[in-house]
Amino acid sequence: MRDMIVSELTQAIQQFSRGFAHILPRIIVMAVIALVGWLAAYLARALLRSILRLIKFDRLSESAGASVLLTKAGLPQATELLSQLGFAITWMVFILLGVSVLGILGVQELITNLFQFLPRLFAGLLIIFVGLLTASFFSRATLLAAVNANLPSPRLLSTAVRAILIVFVLSMFFEELGVGEQTMLLAFGIAFGAAMLGLAIAFGAGGRNLAQRFLESRLSPDNDDDGRKDEFSPL
Amino acid sequence: MPIKQDALWYKDSIIYQAHVRAFFDSNGDGVGDFKGLEQKLDYLEELGINAIWLMPFFPSPLRDDGYDISDYRSVHGSYGTLEDFQDFLESAHRRQIRVIIEMVLNHTSDQHPWFQESRSSQDNPRRDWYVWSDTDTRYQGTRINFLDTELSNWAWDPVSKSYYWHRFFSHQPDLNYDNPAVREEMWGVMKFWLDMGVDGFRLDAVPYLVEREGTSCENLPETHAIIKDLRRRLDEQYPGKMLLAEANQWPADLRPYFADGDEFHMAFHFPLMPRMFMAVKLEDRKPITEILRQTPEIPPNCQWCLFLRNHDELTLEMLSDIERSFMNDSYAQDKSMRINLGIRRRLAPLLENDRRRIDLMNAILMSMPGTPSIYYGDEIGMGDNINLGDRNGVRTPMQWTGGWNAGFSATEAEKLYAPLIQDPVYGYPAVNVVSQKRTSHSLLNWMASLIAVRKSSRVFGSGSIQFLYPVNHRILAYVRQLDKETVLVVNNLSSAAQAVELDLREYKGNILIEMFGKNVFPRVGDLPYLLTLGPYQFYWFRLRKM
Amino acid sequence: MKKSKAENDEVLSDEFLRQLMGVGEVDIVVGLPTHNNAATIGPVIEAIQGGLLAFFPRERAVIINADGGSRDGTPDLVVNAAIDDVGRGSKIYALRTLHAISTEYASTPARGTALRAILAAAELLRAKACIILSPESTQLKADSIASLLRPIYSEGFDLVLPTYARHRFDGLLLTNLLYPMTRALYGLRIREPHALDFAFSGKLGDQFLSQNPWDDETARAGSESRFTLSAIAGGYRICQSFLGNREHIERRTADLVPALRQTVAPLFSFVHSTAPVWRGRLGSELIPTTGPDREFTREPLRINRKRLLGMFVSGVAELESIFRSILTVPTLERLQEIARLDEAQFCYSEELWVKTVYEFAAAYHKSVISRDHILQALAPLFRGRALTFLLQNNQGSSDDVVNNIETLCLEFERLKPYLLEKMEL
Repeated sequence: MRDMIVSELTQAIQQFSRGFAHILPRIIVMAVIALVGWLAAYLARALLRSILRLIKFDRLSESAGASVLLTKAGLPQATELLSQLGFAITWMVFILLGVSVLGILGVQELITNLFQFLPRLFAGLLIIFVGLLTASFFSRATLLAAVNANLPSPRLLSTAVRAILIVFVLSMFFEELGVGEQTMLLAFGIAFGAAMLGLAIAFGAGGRNLAQRFLESRLSPDNDDDGRKDEFSPL
Repeated sequence: MPIKQDALWYKDSIIYQAHVRAFFDSNGDGVGDFKGLEQKLDYLEELGINAIWLMPFFPSPLRDDGYDISDYRSVHGSYGTLEDFQDFLESAHRRQIRVIIEMVLNHTSDQHPWFQESRSSQDNPRRDWYVWSDTDTRYQGTRINFLDTELSNWAWDPVSKSYYWHRFFSHQPDLNYDNPAVREEMWGVMKFWLDMGVDGFRLDAVPYLVEREGTSCENLPETHAIIKDLRRRLDEQYPGKMLLAEANQWPADLRPYFADGDEFHMAFHFPLMPRMFMAVKLEDRKPITEILRQTPEIPPNCQWCLFLRNHDELTLEMLSDIERSFMNDSYAQDKSMRINLGIRRRLAPLLENDRRRIDLMNAILMSMPGTPSIYYGDEIGMGDNINLGDRNGVRTPMQWTGGWNAGFSATEAEKLYAPLIQDPVYGYPAVNVVSQKRTSHSLLNWMASLIAVRKSSRVFGSGSIQFLYPVNHRILAYVRQLDKETVLVVNNLSSAAQAVELDLREYKGNILIEMFGKNVFPRVGDLPYLLTLGPYQFYWFRLRKM
Repeated sequence: MKKSKAENDEVLSDEFLRQLMGVGEVDIVVGLPTHNNAATIGPVIEAIQGGLLAFFPRERAVIINADGGSRDGTPDLVVNAAIDDVGRGSKIYALRTLHAISTEYASTPARGTALRAILAAAELLRAKACIILSPESTQLKADSIASLLRPIYSEGFDLVLPTYARHRFDGLLLTNLLYPMTRALYGLRIREPHALDFAFSGKLGDQFLSQNPWDDETARAGSESRFTLSAIAGGYRICQSFLGNREHIERRTADLVPALRQTVAPLFSFVHSTAPVWRGRLGSELIPTTGPDREFTREPLRINRKRLLGMFVSGVAELESIFRSILTVPTLERLQEIARLDEAQFCYSEELWVKTVYEFAAAYHKSVISRDHILQALAPLFRGRALTFLLQNNQGSSDDVVNNIETLCLEFERLKPYLLEKMEL
């Protein structure tokens, strides 16, 4: 009995050793790839940080209004965030490569799918960024136009424009990722329609007088409260 | 060979104005004469002219270059005899050159026997042959023609102790045309010369024949009546003879002198002449087109006489103040060039001896509706001498050669009736007939070819004129038509090359044949006809449908 | 197919070019940019004809109308002003042809494009002197034309700008920003740096035509102001001529932003590029002027002061986030302070206004946000300054107004180093 146990153990140990000896080179390769990947990620982060600083990316993201969002979320500023993201992505790519070397069934397929997903993720992030920039520009333009036209609640108008554009951008983002596309589109359509309906009701019923005053100010000459004609002429 | 009979000969003539005194001296006395003029008829025949207008050659004290006549029925001794004139006349006719002489109807010299008699006493039979007055207040407001020298149209005669009327120099008393005897006598004078064979008269100073209180004393109906009478007699007794009016008036005021074709045959178009100079200086056709637009139609048997220069100053009377000021500043910056209301310079100096402009101006002269008159010496580009006083600077001896006295006279230079032009540009060594005859592209030869082309078609003398008004105002373009013949004339008034698009749709299908080189230009189509012209260039095109 | 409008980069359409060929070389070009001005252009044309015929009868001249799609027959009125031998029925006598031609440069008006077309035509025609007139300047007389052209034609100046008799409260942007800032920077007391009636030499016109960035819409919109600034920066000889009463042209308050684009944008653009010119200049000097330098008319002008204050206060409040990008903290805080004042106590001091303007100029140069947004943000602040000017000068005499403007100008001059500091020059 003791001999059988020793023999089985010896066989198991030998099998394990054989198996380990078979997989050890792959583990070593994976470790090397991971290490190289770390170095590459480090370099990538440094390079990305330099480029983003050169193009004053922080200011751009400030203009886009992204800086505010990041600060509120407790995240570092755009340059640093993207640099770190660059580091993480680069290292992850190498790690995944290393893992794929191990030859574990199912993992390779997963990794392949992940690599196919990455470009769409990047595109989506770009959409978000450009969208935020655009939303910021147009909301500011709306604010300025409303102030200079002496419209009531200019900030509300500006915020509404920004919100609509952000929702639109987000729906584009999710559509790009292919995450609940139809749901997102439908949700955007419903939200947009509801917002418009709400505004119409609010403006029409609740803002009747306001609407009247607004139209008067657009269509009739500029008069002061005493009804006199304003002859202000800058040039 | 007798001269060809043609009732309307003056419409196709090229007139050459000459002064006997200035043309050629045959006897070495320093003054030109009829024998000399006769010797030079070949030259004139070669040039191509077919009528010669002679300035006054009658006996005269010559205080107004012969326009102060002291004997109407003779020839000034310096110029020869009546026989010399007769010989000259016959020689001219043999060459088919007609002769037009001056007839100064309005006034005589104060040395004329008529005036001597008239002033002698109040009872003299010829007293009433002149216009006398006890005061100088009659006919107030009448303009003075010779502003530079005369202060009044009345002059005091110490002999008869009264004033006499004179519209020109004070030594040129006006004849009184209210007196029938005067009218008869003047007709008699004209008959005298007509019997000799002259072909026409240039009637000097015709607007002033009659005076009436409260008028301008110009262009009065009575004056026209006198002319009509003269014309009637002329047509009855001497058909085919011509009367040419010298009347410096606006076109509308000139028109009555043609009447219904029963007054003057021809009249000088004075207002056009300065405007031609103005147009070239402004590089703008507007002055020419506007004055011709204001020019009324004349009877078919009448004709305008056109000229660039003559023996008088380039008159600026028929210009507005602004125009006159422009002309003086442009052409007579030196005030000594100005006299009365005009400029006493010859053609070449006026145009700065620019051959291109001289050619252009002559081309316009030859292609406008009317009979052109060329002043002697302008065909070779003679210069002037403003230091000779009055208008004598443009009446210097003709320059025939570069040699002794310019070939004008064999006498000493000091004996010449007037000094020759001697400056390096216009002086006779540089500008003379002989040297220009030897140069194929000389002004003289060019003028001869211009005249030849002009004479090749009757359209220039007798045809209608229709102006084209291309957008480019530097181009003066017009179409001349007579019966089936059509000629297009295009002139570039600018010192720079020009492009012009002409609306020739009316002549669609015609080809253009340039009349000097006889080369063919493209056919007229639907599109505007594009032409390009060099500085001061001109084209004469015959339009043919082939 | 016949082109009637300019296409792509062609400033001169084929038809316009054909007309110019017909005109040929000229001495004087009179440019008239128009758009539906049939009601007012008559007196302007009369003044042009009268001026040219009386004072420049021998000169070759052309009236060039650059029209932005008029539907009321304005171009025909201009073209019929020609005096030529075609027989338009004009009874006016002229020594030489006076041309009048017209081109439609666009189907909607754009003054910059109109100016460009006129400049291109003037260059082609080798004009010695050019004059641009507003079709609404009905106060112009024949002498006005002479007083604009003579300095160019006979006295060797390159640019003649107008001065007018205006109401003290007409042209507040001019008196509170354009005039004092131009004066402070460039040392020249130019009353109307943005002129609609002005004359210039062919040499200056050619230079501006070749150097102005016409493809840039902002540069095109502010062409008149850029013209003056180019002349100043280029060291050209400039003078002024008095052109009489400036007719008050009714404008809506909404026109303030376009006015800023046309005038302040070019001024701010030029600040950096011309720094070598103005950096070392101290003080300012008068420029040769024919007639009064400045006059005030007495007709009443109604301005809604409540509205001005309201828009200032609203602007300061609503645009705070934008102002944070443009203004310094102290300036913004002071603006917020005065925004809390009522009309009786309201005062937008000269110093604060100058600092505001200079900080805006610096922000414009650095493009901290969109430049057009920077200009729009200035509008409510300008209204506040305008209100202070109204309150200061409502009761005073003309001399008081002049003195107050002078005080503002001196403040602009005094704070020039501040501008240099803000622009990091």
